[in-house]
Amino acid sequence: MLTLIASCLGIVLTGQIAEAQSAVKVSFNQSIRRILYENCVSCHGPDAAHRKAELRLDERESAIASGAIVPGNPGDSSLLERVTSHDDKLVMPPKDTGKSLTPVQVDLLRRWIAEGAEYQKHWAYLRPDCLEPPDTVSGKPESPGHQRSDHPIDRFVRHRLSAAGLTPSPMAAPETLIRRLHLDLIGLPPTPEEIDEFLNNFGRDPRVAIEAKVDELLASPHYGERWGRWWLDQARYADSHGYSIDAPRQIWPWRDWVISALNTDMSFDEFTLEQLAGDLLPDASESQKVATGFHRNTQINQEGGIDPEQFRIDSVFDRVATTSSVWLGLTIGCAQCHDHKFDPITQKEYYQLFAFLNDQDEPSMKVFGSAEDGQRLNEQVRQLEQAAANYIRERQSVLGDWEAGLNDKDRESLPKEVITALKEGAKKRSDAQWRSLFGAGPGKTDLDFQKIVEDLKSIRNQIDSAPTTLVFQERASPRKSTILIKGDFTRPDAEVFPGTPALLHPLESSGGRANRIDLARWLTSRENPLTARVIVNRIWQQYFGRGIVETESDFGSQGTLPSHPELLDWLAIEFMDQGWSMKRLHRLIVTSATYQQSSTERTDLRAKDPHNYLLGRQQRLRLEAELIRDAALVASGLLSKKMGGPPVYPPIPDGVMGTGQVKHAWNVSQGEDRYRRGCYTFAFRASPPPVLNVFDAPDGYSTCTRRLRSNTPLQALTLLNDQTSIEFAGALKLLIENKGLEYAFRRCTSRVPQQDELSVLETLSSADAARVLLNLDETISRE
Amino acid sequence: MRNNHQLRDATRRHFFSDCGVGLGSIALTSLMNNGRLASAQTADSSEQVISNPLIPKDSHFPAKAKAVIFLFMAGGPSQLELFDYKPKLAELSGQPIPESYIAGKRFAFMNSSHRINLLGPKRTFRQHGESGAWVSDLLPQTASMVDDLCIVKTCKTDLFNHAPAKLFMNTGSGLFGRPSMGSWITYGLGSECDNLPGFVVLQSGPRGPRGGAVLWGSGILPTTYQGVPLRSTGDPILNLSSPVDVTADQQRGVVDAVRELNLKRLVATGDQEIATRISAYEMAYRMQSSAPDLMETSSESKETLSLYGIQDPGESSFARNCLLARRLVERGVRFIQLYHTNWDHHGGPTENLETHLPSICQEIDRPCMALIRDLQQRGLLENTIVIWGGEFGRTPMGEVRESTGRNHHIDAFTMWMAGGGFRPGTVFGETDEFGFGPVDNPIHVHDLHATILHQLGIDHERLSVRFQGLDFRLTGVEPVHVVNEILL
Repeated sequence: MLTLIASCLGIVLTGQIAEAQSAVKVSFNQSIRRILYENCVSCHGPDAAHRKAELRLDERESAIASGAIVPGNPGDSSLLERVTSHDDKLVMPPKDTGKSLTPVQVDLLRRWIAEGAEYQKHWAYLRPDCLEPPDTVSGKPESPGHQRSDHPIDRFVRHRLSAAGLTPSPMAAPETLIRRLHLDLIGLPPTPEEIDEFLNNFGRDPRVAIEAKVDELLASPHYGERWGRWWLDQARYADSHGYSIDAPRQIWPWRDWVISALNTDMSFDEFTLEQLAGDLLPDASESQKVATGFHRNTQINQEGGIDPEQFRIDSVFDRVATTSSVWLGLTIGCAQCHDHKFDPITQKEYYQLFAFLNDQDEPSMKVFGSAEDGQRLNEQVRQLEQAAANYIRERQSVLGDWEAGLNDKDRESLPKEVITALKEGAKKRSDAQWRSLFGAGPGKTDLDFQKIVEDLKSIRNQIDSAPTTLVFQERASPRKSTILIKGDFTRPDAEVFPGTPALLHPLESSGGRANRIDLARWLTSRENPLTARVIVNRIWQQYFGRGIVETESDFGSQGTLPSHPELLDWLAIEFMDQGWSMKRLHRLIVTSATYQQSSTERTDLRAKDPHNYLLGRQQRLRLEAELIRDAALVASGLLSKKMGGPPVYPPIPDGVMGTGQVKHAWNVSQGEDRYRRGCYTFAFRASPPPVLNVFDAPDGYSTCTRRLRSNTPLQALTLLNDQTSIEFAGALKLLIENKGLEYAFRRCTSRVPQQDELSVLETLSSADAARVLLNLDETISRE
Repeated sequence: MRNNHQLRDATRRHFFSDCGVGLGSIALTSLMNNGRLASAQTADSSEQVISNPLIPKDSHFPAKAKAVIFLFMAGGPSQLELFDYKPKLAELSGQPIPESYIAGKRFAFMNSSHRINLLGPKRTFRQHGESGAWVSDLLPQTASMVDDLCIVKTCKTDLFNHAPAKLFMNTGSGLFGRPSMGSWITYGLGSECDNLPGFVVLQSGPRGPRGGAVLWGSGILPTTYQGVPLRSTGDPILNLSSPVDVTADQQRGVVDAVRELNLKRLVATGDQEIATRISAYEMAYRMQSSAPDLMETSSESKETLSLYGIQDPGESSFARNCLLARRLVERGVRFIQLYHTNWDHHGGPTENLETHLPSICQEIDRPCMALIRDLQQRGLLENTIVIWGGEFGRTPMGEVRESTGRNHHIDAFTMWMAGGGFRPGTVFGETDEFGFGPVDNPIHVHDLHATILHQLGIDHERLSVRFQGLDFRLTGVEPVHVVNEILL
């Protein structure tokens, strides 16, 4: 990650150097902002409490008023004098920070001041520009070997590439392409049969074949599982309460809600609204209430001796941080304790956001499938109870006779609850007591009565066995929210009310105290410069391994600049214009030649753009943790395609559950539940499933907007020796024996092996060859 | 360990026999020297270097120490029964602590069992060694070696519940998801061992530490740097053993074939990640024999075993873990952490000051000192920092449940360090008459972290990672200082 950031800086610096050397006017956003923000603004910026010398350099007026900058006159600007000073006491940044400006940076500052010292608002806080994609066709000629494309994405990408003297890569081989599409869109590799069919179609008309494939995959229910996991990461989903006790919790109905919402292509603004405020919607349906589980994915501390309020407040902090990172791509956690040091967000504004998310109770709710079902079942119970009561009332005398006829011995032999009911005076008996009494007496042989009782029991069972899920429920009267000094919940300061940062567009409230509906609408407002860009960027990141903005959760002034700003804006506007449809966005991206090109390294690209910022090729990516499991399940033919429901327990090594304070049970699932997709594996936060954890599955402690991709010996040990790996290899061995090595190779890598590759495998037993195939880097990669 | 020797032989036959050659510097060409891939070699591929993320890296400035052993006393030992002698507390035992001490303070169990009456020390204390350090009768071995220790009585932390406080001691933050000290250090310095993980965790006691795997998690750093628990039963490392019906030769054959096919793919795609994966498989394979080797404590001399008080070298115990810690340091492992539970002496039925504290002290006293002596004898102590302490200390006020105990306390508690350039024979920091708070020289957890990093040649302000727009570091954002007074 460090190298990535460093190299991105490299690109920015290259930009600076270009400007430094050319006659082009120095741009604040391109060159100056980073110099000021990395070196000056933490002490001379928005944070009033920690500001030194009453000097602000993030605002033009203040910088001029203080004499730090005299537009047009670098010589009189104290800023320049201080950054070039040779006096250790005067030089800025101060010696002990270890920072200093390079001669190139000083020169840029000097020229920028000379040219008038114009500031620009940070790009991400301005609404996206509506630009036409550049016309590459009429520009530089297309290089041979790759297809012409009028696709808007390609026009943006190729424009930049050709400006750098580079060409895109040719289209990937059709086997690579179908594997890529399958893994990216549904998270499952294609089978040899699917590949053959695609190759056939591709031979007739590549474009038609690809588009048909894309449509097929987007319509597959497995699309929701693959992209649902993407959202689960951001929502910090797991199946336990976290902290040290880490007891299991039930919130998988929310997980299933996400999968289904994605499969029905719920628009992203509706998706936002239901998750943040479903409970507040008029006549909220059961499903809309389930959706509010998004913000119930916070931890709950059950340790002894704690103050529950402290941890409730911590969970609200987490909700603020998550909302901000996920939708706005802003890190505002620092404003919990003090005004933001870099972005103009005050501590008060932080607590105004906090106030939106501080007014809920946090119950769990029975889930019946739909609100109507729950109501219907409860209504049926009421009717049956009434029917039983009527039935008994009509037979009071029979019951009385039976009761009177009981001797002491008879009474003793009756069930306990009947004896209790008998002891209770007739006037005090509850309906349930009447039923057990009647059932033990005259009702015992009365088939009509037995039927009523049986029906009642079965509906009660249905209600009892319904799963629960964690939800938000607005309190009747809101809590008083205040600023908390240094984020300490024992130190309340001034009262605050729900509101949004002044930096962004104004909040529209339906009147009175703003609520979560207003917050959700504000997030997905057309006026909001951030949300669409942030979401588009985070989807892009899945396809290319990196966002157009590399710092995917920081679009603020400390984040990296977009590699393709116009493309990002165009995609954001297109996303909104297409009704916030995520499926349309996916389709748009994967039908571009940029997406479809080969990922193979090229000498010229390695020299000029070693980290592939300009997208002269696709990116070869190791699969995500769950997909490594899924791919092996498909390869070995073991996969269960069953969707949804409670999480499952595939085998894990002995002793894993004993590392925490409490040893939780892990009763290995039997039957097809043993072979479910990785996204259904039960996830304890404190003792995460090792096979997923070792491949960087997030732990659910806080929002994860981008997974790391590590590459470690423990991963090798897992793929070589873990019980699940052995089981998968056992199944693949049988495939090798029945259908041959080449077939098995295709099941793992989606391509036909070269002869020299086959020869390596042919020297091994089928059992060993199966293990080798499942351990190949290619098997756990998408190229 | 099954097939251990076969595995080792297979390694020798087929693989890098010289462990001194770090994999980090082995160019792909040398892997190709076996001739099998000569035909596939291109100008491009000959430049490729197999990368190992744990390759040793230069420190910011010359280091005093190379390795760290953190003896983590999970639950919070009572400094008032061990190191911080308070006669006044004995005198006023049973009386309420003056209001001025506790006004505005918060404690664990505030609403139920928290008490305000002082509790006198339950043990007798004596001064020891040339330093005159006070140590109670619970730690006779420790007492005999105070001149080798640097005792700090004024450690301070921020959080008073177990899991958050353990996280704080390990990661400098009470929030989940931050890298632990061991991860930061292996990230910053790499490891000098190329056949074991750079950061190893050992556990003993009746249960795992509260908080579990996050205590040695790598948080925002790659998982390469997370602590790897060495388990006392079964495979020492998860999935270390080859499958039951696989022979050593077969395993080697599989790993060789994987490497060969991966190399072909590396050449075809040019993706350096494949090079890293090849290197990871080789290290994994070496771990399959080096980790069982490490655990073979029966090869130690009788003298050594009795120094640690180990009767059965095969039996898991804190003492055996101390011995393993020395063996890990010898092998160049960077950061070793031992957790021993349970020090949470509230006065409950299984955790009181009268019987349970003495027995846990007995479990750790000899092994801790044996570790120091053993490291000393082998010339390793100079370069190894040994740290002893828990996530917090315990209150001067007593807690009476079924028997007597003390509540969690964060204002002042005792830790000691030895070796690695910490000044031996030192008692640093003084607490008030009840041992409630420091009267001088408070050392916050972040200061301690900064000091440990300093000894390893790391500037704590420069060891940082940009994540989600913020620069994260072990020592947080508030001012922190290296405590030079406790260093040589």
